[in-house]
Amino acid sequence: MACSKNQLQKIHRYMDEEMNDEEQKMLEEHVSDCGDCAAHLKEMRQTVAIVQSTSHFKAPDDITQNVMNQLPKQPPAKKGKVWLQKHPFMMTAATFFLVFIISLASGFSPDANQIAVQGEGQFYVDESNGVVIVPEGEAIYGDIRIENGDLNVEGEVHGDVTLVNGEHIQASAGGVTGEIEEINAFYERIWHHTKIFISDVFSLSSDTTEQTDLSIWF
Amino acid sequence: MDTVVKRIIANIKKGDQEAFAELMDLYKDQVYHIVYRMLGNVHEAQDVTQEAFLRAYMNIDTYDEKRKFSTWLFRIATNLAIDRIRKKKPDFHLEDNVPGTADLDYHSQFSNEDPLPEDQLLQLEMQEWVQAEIMKLPPKYRAAIILKYLEDLSLKEIGDILNLPVATVKTRIHRGREALRKSLGE
Repeated sequence: MACSKNQLQKIHRYMDEEMNDEEQKMLEEHVSDCGDCAAHLKEMRQTVAIVQSTSHFKAPDDITQNVMNQLPKQPPAKKGKVWLQKHPFMMTAATFFLVFIISLASGFSPDANQIAVQGEGQFYVDESNGVVIVPEGEAIYGDIRIENGDLNVEGEVHGDVTLVNGEHIQASAGGVTGEIEEINAFYERIWHHTKIFISDVFSLSSDTTEQTDLSIWF
Repeated sequence: MDTVVKRIIANIKKGDQEAFAELMDLYKDQVYHIVYRMLGNVHEAQDVTQEAFLRAYMNIDTYDEKRKFSTWLFRIATNLAIDRIRKKKPDFHLEDNVPGTADLDYHSQFSNEDPLPEDQLLQLEMQEWVQAEIMKLPPKYRAAIILKYLEDLSLKEIGDILNLPVATVKTRIHRGREALRKSLGE
């Protein structure tokens, strides 16, 4: 056994060929004086020599053929493509979903800070403050939808109000007879789009069933 | 990396299965040798080698061509071998009695048709002895020692294969070397 832990560490570094010339010389000098360390180093070298003396084995001859027989018929790179070819429904669903996402994304267009108003009536848009104002004495009949702006009703709105990325500032005299819906957070917006989308699909399909029912009755 | 291996891998990625046989012929002996030394059993070594190549084929798209192919392949192989060691029942030794027999040890399980010449027998015993000592090492030291002294890989490459920092590889080699020194010196 080496004479100290420190020397043992040095012997390992010597074995790993990590010493510079000076360190190497110092260790060699120490080993020539210290019997314990000399024995330890000798044993270590012998150990490595014994381990390295073991012969290399060759793999069994049939190993390549065994593996080649187990390879899948389809090249692995095309796995995904083949899977979709086998499942056309998933392909349709994936495409459909993609279109849906794109239409959603178009809602978040780059000119996102532009105020957009949908509705009919007398109002004016204060672009610098980002406010849509329905002035006092004016009344809007119908629904109104504002994107990227606040709404200040000083007059009257007879219909529903939808605010995307905006707030409703309630003025004392003004009033909204319908519902006010504020959609601000990103996920809320997605939910809102989904809701509209689903209600569209369902009203469409219920229309069709009604028609079908009628044709049966008459 | 040499261009031959690059060309073969490009062909495999294009879907040329036959090219995989070329790749296997280049690396099968090394992979087999590493896993045999780790497992100490020819049947398991063959099994794990085949499994390693199958996985390499299935995942060839994840191989990064900027890195050395052998490092990637040996990593798959050593991981499989280490998994196998962990799942394995406790090791048995050739000197242990075969279960259900009175005094039959595992040596008698091997056929002994042609007696080997003396020097070959000595050589074989020496090999068995060294392998038995390697098998006594904990798997994590075993892998480091095999890659360092039997495959002659650099500490950096061993670190890449075992997914360890070089300092940890060094420690494992030191401890493994120390353990072998003690057991071989007995």
